[in-house]
Amino acid sequence: MGDKSKTDTSLNPKQRSRREFLENAGTTAAVATAVPVLGISAAQAQSDTQSTVSKTTIQLTVNGSRHSVDVEDRWTLVEVLRDQLDLTGTKIGCDRSECGACTVIMNGKPVYSCSQLAVWADGAQVTTVEGLASGGQLSPVQQAFVENNGPQCGFCTPGQLMTATALLSNNATPNADEVKQALVGNLCRCSNYNAIVEAVVMAGERSGGAA
Amino acid sequence: MKAFSNINVSSIDEAVSAAARARSNGQSVAFSGGGTDLLQQLKDGTDKSDVIINLRNVDGAKEISSANGTTRIGGLITLEELSNSDVGDVSYVLAQAAASVGTPQIRNVATLSGNVTQRPWCWYYRNGFNCYKAGGDECFSVTGENQQHAIYGGGPSFIVHPSDVAPALVALGASFIVAGPDGESNVSADEFFVMPSQDPAKENSLASGELLVGVSLPTPRASSVSHYHKIMDREAWTHAEVSVAAVLTMNGEIVESASIVLGGVATVPWKLTEVENYLVGRQLSADVVTMAGQMAVSSARPLAKNGHKIPMTAAAVERTLLALVNG
Amino acid sequence: MSEAIHIGLEPLNTIGNATARVDAVERVTGEAKYSRDFKLPGMLYAQILRSPHPHARIRSIDTSAAEALPGVRAVITGDNAPIVWGAGSVSGGRQYNDPTKDATLHRRYIFNNPVRFVGDSVAAVAAIDRHIAEQALALIKVDYEELPFVLEPEAALEPGAPQVWPDGNLCPDFRNNFEPMVSNLGDVEAGFAEADQIFEERYETSFIHNAQMEPRAAMAHWEGDKLTLYTPTQGISNCRHDTARDLGLQDHQVRIVCNYMGGGFGNKNQNQDADLVAATLSKQAAAPVMLEFSRRDDWLGVHGRWPTVQHYKIGAKNDGTVTAIQMFGYSGMGPYRKNSGGISGMDVYACPNRLRSISAVYTNRTTSGNFRAPSEPHGFYGVESMMDEVAYKLGVDPVEFALKNMRRPTDDQPFTNYSLEEVITRGAEQFDWASRRKTTPGSDEGPIKRGSGFSFMMFRAGVGTSSAIVRVDAQRQYTLFVGVTDIGPGAKTTMGMIAAEELGVPLDQVEVVAGDTDRCPYSVGESGSRTTIQTGYAVMQAAKDLNQQIADSGMPIGSDVLIASATPNPSTDGKTRQCFGAHFVEVEVDTRIGTTRIVKYTTVHESGRIINPTTARDQIRGATIQGIGQALHEDLLYDPASGQPLTTGYYRARHLTHLDIPEIDVTFIEVDDGYGPFGAKTAGEAGIILAPAAVANAISNAIGVRMTSLPISRDKILEVMA
Repeated sequence: MGDKSKTDTSLNPKQRSRREFLENAGTTAAVATAVPVLGISAAQAQSDTQSTVSKTTIQLTVNGSRHSVDVEDRWTLVEVLRDQLDLTGTKIGCDRSECGACTVIMNGKPVYSCSQLAVWADGAQVTTVEGLASGGQLSPVQQAFVENNGPQCGFCTPGQLMTATALLSNNATPNADEVKQALVGNLCRCSNYNAIVEAVVMAGERSGGAA
Repeated sequence: MKAFSNINVSSIDEAVSAAARARSNGQSVAFSGGGTDLLQQLKDGTDKSDVIINLRNVDGAKEISSANGTTRIGGLITLEELSNSDVGDVSYVLAQAAASVGTPQIRNVATLSGNVTQRPWCWYYRNGFNCYKAGGDECFSVTGENQQHAIYGGGPSFIVHPSDVAPALVALGASFIVAGPDGESNVSADEFFVMPSQDPAKENSLASGELLVGVSLPTPRASSVSHYHKIMDREAWTHAEVSVAAVLTMNGEIVESASIVLGGVATVPWKLTEVENYLVGRQLSADVVTMAGQMAVSSARPLAKNGHKIPMTAAAVERTLLALVNG
Repeated sequence: MSEAIHIGLEPLNTIGNATARVDAVERVTGEAKYSRDFKLPGMLYAQILRSPHPHARIRSIDTSAAEALPGVRAVITGDNAPIVWGAGSVSGGRQYNDPTKDATLHRRYIFNNPVRFVGDSVAAVAAIDRHIAEQALALIKVDYEELPFVLEPEAALEPGAPQVWPDGNLCPDFRNNFEPMVSNLGDVEAGFAEADQIFEERYETSFIHNAQMEPRAAMAHWEGDKLTLYTPTQGISNCRHDTARDLGLQDHQVRIVCNYMGGGFGNKNQNQDADLVAATLSKQAAAPVMLEFSRRDDWLGVHGRWPTVQHYKIGAKNDGTVTAIQMFGYSGMGPYRKNSGGISGMDVYACPNRLRSISAVYTNRTTSGNFRAPSEPHGFYGVESMMDEVAYKLGVDPVEFALKNMRRPTDDQPFTNYSLEEVITRGAEQFDWASRRKTTPGSDEGPIKRGSGFSFMMFRAGVGTSSAIVRVDAQRQYTLFVGVTDIGPGAKTTMGMIAAEELGVPLDQVEVVAGDTDRCPYSVGESGSRTTIQTGYAVMQAAKDLNQQIADSGMPIGSDVLIASATPNPSTDGKTRQCFGAHFVEVEVDTRIGTTRIVKYTTVHESGRIINPTTARDQIRGATIQGIGQALHEDLLYDPASGQPLTTGYYRARHLTHLDIPEIDVTFIEVDDGYGPFGAKTAGEAGIILAPAAVANAISNAIGVRMTSLPISRDKILEVMA
């Protein structure tokens, strides 16, 4: 059992102190140096505009453009796409592979970019929602989303589009069940699922394989 | 997310020595195949590794080869590849189990080894409680919210083993190929999966610095049939509430041998030996499959809030066998 | 593509025609900028430290180590940022009432001491990147004195329960009196005396997180004493006013920008603590600050639908006439009264004897607040489950029972129009209610059982004030300025369509400027299903005025423009204005494994005239599916021993996926009652109200057992079938 010696008499006996069951209850803290409240000294402010964590240079081809990016090992692919390459179309909904908003196509397959470290993607070919339209022309699935109200709030839309695009490149004319199977990893809390499935089916029917 | 270092390796040997080096420097190490769950744990603080060893670029670590009546599957094969592989054609249960994991996005990166060795999804462990699985000395589910917890093999921890692929592998008679500082070894399922009564902190016998690099399967007999049945509390994207991996060899309509393993209800992939013995020599009539379902749960021991898993498990066993009868 | 069926009105020139959103291309190309997508030079990243305890007093906070971490630019706590978040706790839950906010007894600060739920804010940090901000949080040392806590609303009212606030756990009303919300019509005791039979049951509903896909984020940027906030909000005007008041500024000193927002369903109303925290950090650090919530921050630190307990007592005659309805309800509000805690539904019945008493109760769970139709889905689930049970016990078809007992217009209370009977009878016919429902519940042989259920409602569609400005230039380009935000339903498009219709021009000749308080006039906000009715009516009036100006003085020439603005305050002439709906659903319950599958789902709604059939269809379909999730899956479980939440996030709350979703059939009965813009009524909240009740009734019809607790999960079904 945990450290029961620290019984807090004010607690209901049926209830248990958190420090009994959670790790790191007393947060470890470095020895405090004397700084005034909120007093970030001018010298310190000058010297710390860059994180001191070491970086690795990786190569990414995103939407056909090659990029050489210096990344921290802990940066995820979606952080690099959004923060370093300013491709903010890819969204972060959960950051835990629970929602699908961050889906991109990596080396031909849809993946959750929140759950890949950027250093693991070194050398990869990545397509994001910004890479779907070409020459000012929406892709068939984008066009179908426009017509059949694919986006409600629109936050899951880039992810849905990326997974749908990967599906259509393997199966040009999916039926509704196939669309649901393929897109199951993309949540929509507006619950616009009916319209999304209809739009993907419609895109396949229209382009008949030219998605 | 905490700061850590990523090390890319191109061979298993390199991975093992990188791990040994890091450990000798006092650093904790995690191996990364697909990395999905590892990153989640690093973000949540339930994994505190200092060094991540990236296995994506290891040569030959995802290959399937057959020789002398056994098939070896490299542990870094993705679940997507596994579910579409030739092995999947022969050992259908394995393809089905692999295809039932998570979502296409997860299966595109997740590996066989990662699925077999992923940590439990108990909500106490994942929410940072200092339970057995986190190195503590208590299982909070016992008197708490235990709807999802084990009805077999519990005590002192009551987690359920989270893998879909593992029950299929056990049903197929797989052994587990472990690499470590002393080279490779072949470990039987009995030795590989660890009951909490043996060591409540672990789900398998991998020591620090060791990793699962593949599995070895006896080639199934031509007369064998198999099936994976998974019940979830939504239609996809969760772990099993209960799953059944069944492999039967048939002589006409008579069961010649049976291997039936449960997932989602036990602390390790749970082999139903009594049911297996009962089925041998019998035809899978309605009465026989009903009896098999009842027999399956006769040894189950529910906690306060997971009693529903008992009828669910009985139904799942019954339906798995019926699916095999009905082809 | 499955289109809704429309009955009753023909399309106008623009209105009534299926129309793609005016900003659809931005939404499918990634160009649409959501709050977290903005970046300014020198921008810092911020995060909030949250309480790990359900209830604790903070003895001290030591931020020195965090401040010393290189890259950290500001650290704030309750000590140096004692800012009241007015909308975070309002006596009586009167969220739009300034005097009540000022008089509120139990105030919520942006950082609270004591902390009263796991997730209550304790401190915040701004740093040069988000990882350093996160590291700095871990360096803040907080000395907590843990206090006893209470999680369940009924338990919180028992004598000796841990006290969330010193004056007790019953939330005060808007006058700061500690009393339940009581509505008492007729004489229930007389009604019970008149009854042949009395029915009683307790119902329970769970906490449902709004779970919008976009976690909260706010970027604050000061230029002198003017604050600009890029923040997701369902009402830029309310957000501006609340933020200005909380920070001691004038409204004009605050600019709110929100052009795209990733859903809210009620939890992005008003301003948020995130806005105040970002603004304060930005001021301290003298740099733009982007505050980002993680998914867990959002789950715990924002809010969801309040959990309830509802005790019903119904008196009825053997002929199926209801003589009395009584409900004692308890709503778990968490430790702050953000919203009402209402439990609606019984007022759709005409029974003259109705007593409702609701205690909004403080607990040490996360805060409850508005979620799409805040008081309705759980309330309709309770009362319509109760009535369904009464109907079957009396041997009456629930549809007949509804038609007999439902509220209808009276001489004392006329309606602008009344379609309740029509939506019910048409729905019953389309669904084939007579043959689908089991006259004897649970009568299917075998483990897989089908059954059907129904629910019906009326819901406010009242009119009210808002503003709009329309301009035309010499190139005949029209610009509509409206203070709406497009949170998902398509308000920009709807407003543009109303303007185009009234102006007599095609939609592509109307540019819609929205989502920015410095460019747009007041709008009521995207809550309470009011934008189409209220702001839409203002658009219509402004367009009428512009048409008159054009008629009077001709089109402008050269650099001239004509501008019209309108702030109408219409009334319904003493009539009640409601939208109406009925849902019919057939389910298949696998009683061996507890699974419920939706076989058929028919909805019929009267929401007045439909402006845009495409977006209206998906409001009904999406809201209905959210309601199905509430019925079958969603719950925020707490560990009773520690007060820790266990099921935050999409994985643990089991949100519905593509594979869980049935086809939802939608029929609109269209009516122009002469009020609102072209007769439009509410649609955004209508769909969710009925789904939990209809699904629950269908399950009970299938298995023959009344399910009295949401969600109707597998374990509960297996328990009653054992």
